[in-house]
Amino acid sequence: MAKKNTVLAGSARRTWKAELKRDWVLYLLFVPIILYEVVLHYLPMFGIVMAFEDYSVADGYFRSPWVGFKHFINLFSGEDFPQAIRNTVAIALLRCTIGFVAPIIFALMLSLIKSKRFKRISQTMSYMPNFVAAVIVCSLFTQFLSKDGPLTLLLTKVFGAENQNWFANDQIPVFWIIYLMMGIWQGIGWGSIMYVAAISQVSGDLHEAAALDGASRLQRMFRITIPSILPMVVMMFVINIGTALAAGYDNILLLYMPSTYNVADTVYTYTYRQAFGGGASNYSLSAASGLFQSLVSTILLIGSNALSRKAAGSSLF
Amino acid sequence: MARKRRKQEEWENNMVENKSAADRVVDVVVYVIVALVALCSVIPMWHVLMSSFSDGKSLLAHVGLVLWPVGGFTVEGYKLIFQNSSIINGYINTVIYTICYTTIGFLISTVTGYALSRDSKLKKPVTMGLMVTMLFSGGMVPAYMVIRAIGWVGTPWALVIPGCTNSMFCIMMMNAFNGVPNEMYEASHIDGAGHLSTLFEIALPQAMNMGSVIILNLAIGQWNSWLPASIYVPNKKVLWPLQLVIRQITSENADFLNSSNPNYSRYLIQFAVIIAAIAPIIILFPFFQDKMEKGVIQGGIKG
Repeated sequence: MAKKNTVLAGSARRTWKAELKRDWVLYLLFVPIILYEVVLHYLPMFGIVMAFEDYSVADGYFRSPWVGFKHFINLFSGEDFPQAIRNTVAIALLRCTIGFVAPIIFALMLSLIKSKRFKRISQTMSYMPNFVAAVIVCSLFTQFLSKDGPLTLLLTKVFGAENQNWFANDQIPVFWIIYLMMGIWQGIGWGSIMYVAAISQVSGDLHEAAALDGASRLQRMFRITIPSILPMVVMMFVINIGTALAAGYDNILLLYMPSTYNVADTVYTYTYRQAFGGGASNYSLSAASGLFQSLVSTILLIGSNALSRKAAGSSLF
Repeated sequence: MARKRRKQEEWENNMVENKSAADRVVDVVVYVIVALVALCSVIPMWHVLMSSFSDGKSLLAHVGLVLWPVGGFTVEGYKLIFQNSSIINGYINTVIYTICYTTIGFLISTVTGYALSRDSKLKKPVTMGLMVTMLFSGGMVPAYMVIRAIGWVGTPWALVIPGCTNSMFCIMMMNAFNGVPNEMYEASHIDGAGHLSTLFEIALPQAMNMGSVIILNLAIGQWNSWLPASIYVPNKKVLWPLQLVIRQITSENADFLNSSNPNYSRYLIQFAVIIAAIAPIIILFPFFQDKMEKGVIQGGIKG
């Protein structure tokens, strides 16, 4: 450690000129990432001024008229955007609760299985949906839940639901539940890996001692396994909240249709549609909606990170 | 460790004998649910695979899951793929994009990870810069405007450069290089090797565990990606990756089935093309499963 410190002091003590002369190859290695970050991440950050302009491509950032908060006022006084916020919040809540617990329950169940072979094969099978492309997953679900699709038939026969195209259903929790189920289907296996690993770290001695005292396997699961992985669960939960708005809404673009916008439109899809959805592009409105999402995401990330540091003693950054 | 595990197994085996009725019920329930989850994970793919070998006409008339080729086993769907120039073109594009994207992304992440692991004046500011981009992004439209200004809209560059690296990958590679024993760097330095040869000949082979996780994530991500193409090359069909072609075929089919005289072969082709698109990943999966799993556990990234 002491050695490392003196080395660090080494580069700090030298002047830029001496450093560049001595180690120019190393500094050259920084060029790609600096270019990449500046052009593709930092320039767009300045580009958000367009959310406060009536941006037109011909006029560019500097000559487009400045309109202040007009687009934000339009967003919140209209009907579509508040509706998109409601849908986003609903889907995010479902994912942070049921969607979050599903892989944990799956991992706990795997831990109760004694046959190594059975466990390994089921795990491998459960990973598969995670590697199937979004376009394919969505087209499969669209087919399966269409009128007379296999899943629709199952729902009709077993639960007596009406035979219908479920993705055309614009009643309130239907699309949210389908989207949640799709996410669980895709992620339950892959999402359980961390928990399976954590469970396998739990000391065998504890289980042994409890078993000697006559604890059943279920009791040991509740009294030993779950408390042991709890810190990690808390951390993952907090991370989940932090990223709840940032990712995972692009699949909706492949599933929704104008007649279901009232339940399926989210801030992300709204942002996309205003700019790239075909028809006239309203870049400024889209940028305003995107900025709103970015800001809320950032607040959630920083907040959840602080919470994680407090609650679990570990944080992302 | 091994002894401990053996001991635990022994214990669990002993327990079989004095298991209570309640334990047995739990056992059955757990096995059934896990088996169900596993089956549900693969059945849709099996349905597609079997549909792709079916006869188009019988398939269209069939209702429910296809667990076995209906109307006899045919490879008609696969023959149709080879006659469809947009599918072949999309496939070739996807292969090219995946190779370029993965190579460029891996190189940038590696070089940056190495540079960050060495002592320099840029270490701190660049790390900070990377952190900021993890926290805040300008959003879709401002990013589009920058790429438009560079002149990449409507070119493959917009598909292979943006997103090919990120702060996470760079920091993961930095950690990997930090994990290489210092003696190796010193020895290399004493031998008179420069940074480039130290990086590629000495350090990178040691950091390849993490490197391969990044390569796999990049390759699978690009292979399955459709959104950037829908933003940057929506009207240039020659540049479409396979996923965008699939999206068009499947969404067109939805309308098409309502027409009075649907074309069976077009219905069939969507199953064959889906199988063609996921085959490389499924076939290679056994070889990279362990690596990806370890990657998730170590790096905490979700593939």
